[in-house]
Amino acid sequence: MDIILVGMNHKTAPLEIREKLSISCDDDTATFEKIKEISHINEALYLSTCNRVEVLAHVFDAAAAETYLKDLVFSHGNLSPEEMERCLYIYRNDSAVRHLFRVASSLDSMVMGEPQILGQVKDAYRRSVEQEAAGVMLNKLLHNAFRVAKRVRTETTISNNAVSVSSTAVELAKKIFGNLRGKNALVIGAGEMAELAAKHLISNGVRKVIFTNRTYERALKMANDLHGDTVSFDLLEEALSDVDIIISSTGAPGYIIDEKMIAAALRRRKNRLLFIIDIAVPRDVDPALGKTDNVYLYNIDNLQSVVDDNVKNRINEAEKAETIIDEEVTEFSRWLKRLKVVPTIVDLRGKVESIIKGEMERADPWMKNLDDGERENVEILVNSIINKILHDPVTGLKEESENGAANPYVAVIKKLFKLD
Amino acid sequence: MGSLFFKIALVLYFLSMLGYIASLVVRRVQVAKVSTWVLFSAFAVHTASIIFRWVETGYSPVTNLYESLSFIAWAVSGIYLIFQVKTKTRVLGAFVSPVVLVMAITASARLVEDAAIPAILMGSWVSIHVMLTLTGSALFALACLSGIMYLVQDDLIRNKKAYGFSRLLPSLRELDRINNICIVTGFFLLTLGIIAGSIWARNVWGSHWQWDPKQVSTLISWIIYALLLHQRFAIGWKGRKIAFLSIAAFVILLFTFVGVNIFFITVHNFI
Repeated sequence: MDIILVGMNHKTAPLEIREKLSISCDDDTATFEKIKEISHINEALYLSTCNRVEVLAHVFDAAAAETYLKDLVFSHGNLSPEEMERCLYIYRNDSAVRHLFRVASSLDSMVMGEPQILGQVKDAYRRSVEQEAAGVMLNKLLHNAFRVAKRVRTETTISNNAVSVSSTAVELAKKIFGNLRGKNALVIGAGEMAELAAKHLISNGVRKVIFTNRTYERALKMANDLHGDTVSFDLLEEALSDVDIIISSTGAPGYIIDEKMIAAALRRRKNRLLFIIDIAVPRDVDPALGKTDNVYLYNIDNLQSVVDDNVKNRINEAEKAETIIDEEVTEFSRWLKRLKVVPTIVDLRGKVESIIKGEMERADPWMKNLDDGERENVEILVNSIINKILHDPVTGLKEESENGAANPYVAVIKKLFKLD
Repeated sequence: MGSLFFKIALVLYFLSMLGYIASLVVRRVQVAKVSTWVLFSAFAVHTASIIFRWVETGYSPVTNLYESLSFIAWAVSGIYLIFQVKTKTRVLGAFVSPVVLVMAITASARLVEDAAIPAILMGSWVSIHVMLTLTGSALFALACLSGIMYLVQDDLIRNKKAYGFSRLLPSLRELDRINNICIVTGFFLLTLGIIAGSIWARNVWGSHWQWDPKQVSTLISWIIYALLLHQRFAIGWKGRKIAFLSIAAFVILLFTFVGVNIFFITVHNFI
């Protein structure tokens, strides 16, 4: 019995192969039926996202199951075996467990630390349970994977800091304003990055986004797309007094927001805090404003350097996460090894219990003379003697199994106690 | 009983400070939550110690510098706990609890001595006067603390270092809000306290105001806080300038509290 994992992800397979496979695997239940049909497979889990396709299985015969699984993948992808061979990875036992833990903890994701993957793994597991393809092994394995993911999330800061420019902008806005509910934002100019940042602000609770552009129609279009308002570019100066966050990304050659405009706006807005994000190149906002009280100015390089720091932090945190995963893999493999002696221990206990039962029945004629309390005491005494006697061999067996050296002991116990 | 409770409170304050600092290091909210409960129990035990002392001695427990420090420490932690419920910014605890602990330890130095107190410190006007001004001072201390945090956070964001330590501080708006609430209520209590004091002064010294160094110095602090409120509400100052002012005003208030007794001869030489 082995655990195997066959799959491909964004690192091993180019997009065109992944998408072919994921389209053909779209009908999850059909794929699942096929996996279950493979006779060498005992339990199975099938995970398919836009960045990865993986099959995790508990199998009777690893080599045979691998061949069948590969065949299945090949037939789905409609690609030559050579092409597919290059993209696939196959892990067995400890390394399969490690891979699953890394996937669930988002260490193997394209954007490391992103939170969606855990949900996708959970969905895959739920499907597996629904299809009755999950048993003792997968239950334990997946629950451990969820625990590992939780540990990684709480014990490291891997998913704490924003790693994109627009989410960094939102994070900074929260440092200034607390939460963004009831805040207004002004987007000057039309650009993909400005639009993305505006979307992020809206999803984080900003009340109203106002768009303005030299070409009014473009502002109108963006406002329609994002359910915002528009203001004419000539009224920019007045608009400054009612907004808390300004995102500027025009193609203007010079500054469109200068100190004088902001000073006037601050007077009108009674110095309420103002967060200006200048993502235009060349810059739209006079950098001298960076020193003005109650104004916080970030340009594209500033944001990018925060992102870079956060990425660095994620890489550091990933190392901590790997240590956690090492621990958990060891722990799981101990459990796995102990599992091998469990049937023997169960048999041994069963035999002893049947002996006790038989002897108690034999002793029944004279035990009848005892009152209930005394009879109970006798039973307690017998059980505790048996438990004490069994304790050392059972622990010893478990310890040996963790070292992978239990087989001779199992044989001896089976022979001496006539367990077969 | 009073001093036993005070010692227990001291230990609990110490534990809550350790907890709050640990919560910064390990960055777990759970640790800060536990610390809040420890701080709450410290506050409760401290309250009991003050009440016991009041009952045991028969006069209000704020008649000398040490008792006053203990009272301020008590007020600061109480006010902080209220903010905790209102604002959910637990990180403030890591800054408040050391301040409380230092005040409580200083207070413990001579708290047990049961010196005979001058007759003029008996009576309800003086108790009201002291408790109001001390609670006001506690609020100003918190305003000063949030001002310092504001300046730190402002500096971090402005200089593009808004990661690491900055994560641990509340947002600028939150800090400014805490500062505002503290100064408004603190000013209100200080004003009432001064009025109560002048009524008491009339009873024991014959006139409402003696131009004593203590009184003058208090008046200066009061004027600075009044100015600060004026700047905020009439002129519209916010953030950094207000933070600076509230720190400066508190330094002068501290001088009023301890410095005047050292450098001047004052009739108000009890606290």
